[in-house]
Amino acid sequence: MPAEHTASAPAGPPWRLALGRSFERGRKFLWFLLINILPLYVASDLLVTSGALAKVSGFLEPVMSLWGLPPEAAAVLMAGMLVNLYAATAVAAPLALSWQQISVLGLILGIAHSLIIEAVVVRQLTPRYHALTLLRIVLGLGAGWLLALVLC
Amino acid sequence: MLPGAALKGLVLCAELALVVLPLIVGYEMAKAYGVFQRPWKRLRPALAMIGLGPGGLVPLLAGIFLGLLYGAGILVSVSREEGLAESERLALAVFLVTCHAVVEDTALFVILGGSAFWILAPRLVMALGLTAWLARRGRSRN
Repeated sequence: MPAEHTASAPAGPPWRLALGRSFERGRKFLWFLLINILPLYVASDLLVTSGALAKVSGFLEPVMSLWGLPPEAAAVLMAGMLVNLYAATAVAAPLALSWQQISVLGLILGIAHSLIIEAVVVRQLTPRYHALTLLRIVLGLGAGWLLALVLC
Repeated sequence: MLPGAALKGLVLCAELALVVLPLIVGYEMAKAYGVFQRPWKRLRPALAMIGLGPGGLVPLLAGIFLGLLYGAGILVSVSREEGLAESERLALAVFLVTCHAVVEDTALFVILGGSAFWILAPRLVMALGLTAWLARRGRSRN
């Protein structure tokens, strides 16, 4: 059955087809970085260096300190949960976080990211996708809290 | 301020590209040579422990390595073709929402300076623990 894919495609060794597809996807990925991630990084960098992000997010300090994170990291969590991990990376990079803080963010967001778009895929597997999305948020924040206790 | 930010942003993009582009080639090669289609028999007992039959291996591997979005094609179509039971699909979903795209997602935060171990190991442990618990609960009910 696996042979069906190659039978309909133009003849060639599998590695060549794979390279062709990689090239196509790689090109799209580079484009995605330049169009989406670069502007997001620049915006984040400007908001961080001007102190605007710290001012706006200051009130979150008691909450974010649960995870050993500065209040500005709330923007990283939002970007990761609602958009994707590349967006989270672009927002987090200018923040000058310690490796422990990056690890906590990586663990929380590794579990709970791209929640809206990935729920569409999970829905194909199980009708309980709402509960699973909630599970991701709870597990992610819970695990991140424990990790912060361990590392910080 | 702006040119500096743009330059640093380009450096970040270059770092991301350096990590992700080889991963893309790796995925495509593995896919072209049918790595995700091999029914590895030795893994069956382990699969049973987390509530999956042999048909669940390919979608599980696709999700773990390719992620929910890139792996969606394999994940959804194979779980339909193999006629996975509802409990298996739930096990698959629970495992994968906790732990998927392990290479790419971990790499992104390692680029920023995070610890690969602390980002990945807890997710794996939780995914295995949750699905094993679900499977045990399912067995004791029947």
